[in-house]
Amino acid sequence: MLATPYIKCDYDKVYEPAEDSFLLLDSLEKEQQFLNERFHSHLSVVCELGPGSGIITTFMLQHGIPSKNKSIYFALDINPWALEATHATAKLNACQDKFLDTVQSDLTSSLRNKEIDVLVFNPPYVPADNVPMVPSFKDDIDEWVDLALLGGADGMVVTNKVLKNLDIILSPNGVAYILFCARNKPEEVVKGMKEKHGWKAELVEHRKAGWEVLSVYKFYR
Amino acid sequence: MKFLTTNFLKCSVKACDTSNDNFPLQYDGSKCQLVQDESIEFNPEFLLNIIERVDWNAVLSVASDLGNTALPPSKPVFPATADQLSEEDMTILRDLHTLLIQTSISEGEMKCRNCGHVYYIKNSIPNLLLPPHLA
Repeated sequence: MLATPYIKCDYDKVYEPAEDSFLLLDSLEKEQQFLNERFHSHLSVVCELGPGSGIITTFMLQHGIPSKNKSIYFALDINPWALEATHATAKLNACQDKFLDTVQSDLTSSLRNKEIDVLVFNPPYVPADNVPMVPSFKDDIDEWVDLALLGGADGMVVTNKVLKNLDIILSPNGVAYILFCARNKPEEVVKGMKEKHGWKAELVEHRKAGWEVLSVYKFYR
Repeated sequence: MKFLTTNFLKCSVKACDTSNDNFPLQYDGSKCQLVQDESIEFNPEFLLNIIERVDWNAVLSVASDLGNTALPPSKPVFPATADQLSEEDMTILRDLHTLLIQTSISEGEMKCRNCGHVYYIKNSIPNLLLPPHLA
């Protein structure tokens, strides 16, 4: 079993790693061989959306996922505190010798189209009346964390923006790992992605966490 | 933000996606502070993989924005594997390592060549978020 990164963050400012984060780590560990075989012959561009504390990106840096010395990592978050936390977590785990940059960005809107080989996304998936507004100031601390949690109708408003654009986000060989909770109705979502949009989609891991059932699906061509 | 990252950042404005001028962004050389960060070791194989992938015209464009016009006009060609590299290849790769990976922009600004929107880099982190009226 691969080691989990050390984390020391201010959880008033960024999302605290929880069952969902750990399920993604387990999923990436399980997929290590698939990813290595798919990407070992070229440079791969890895992008995590919403890294929060940086636990998942640091895990990939630490263990050379998808491939050692052949990957560069971008962590994109709307929350400026998460970008600082991600750098700090990478440093705490001695990953300064790997290629990581963070970008303050609304999802992938700032990245060139069709360049991401591995996309990882633990979205705000909690059903809510609305997706919160982006706070006006960096110091509106408690408002930033809400953005990491609340996903509007069915908890799917933000995830749907990514799924809808997956074609222009991923490189032709790209793979996306996305986390869902049961209230997101992932089976229906996956069925739509397969039947209407021609994606391959597979369940990687699922787990009961308290009263919630979490799952990670991968999407690829 | 490392120089290589400029090879992946475009303007966040959706309407600019239909333009060819949303990438690379235009960096303001007079306002960009460059620092050298040596924490990533030189690894010729990593560099070969990076060079295979980069958009060379965008490398040239940003390098020139930042005052470096000494790069070859077309992407250098190297042998397929690291063990076939000549001394001269290694020298070029070391220079490209210095530029693409060690050179970071710690403070600065850049704009979209299509819509003119200006983005800022602070504490080495670029901010590509748009104000609400453009998002």
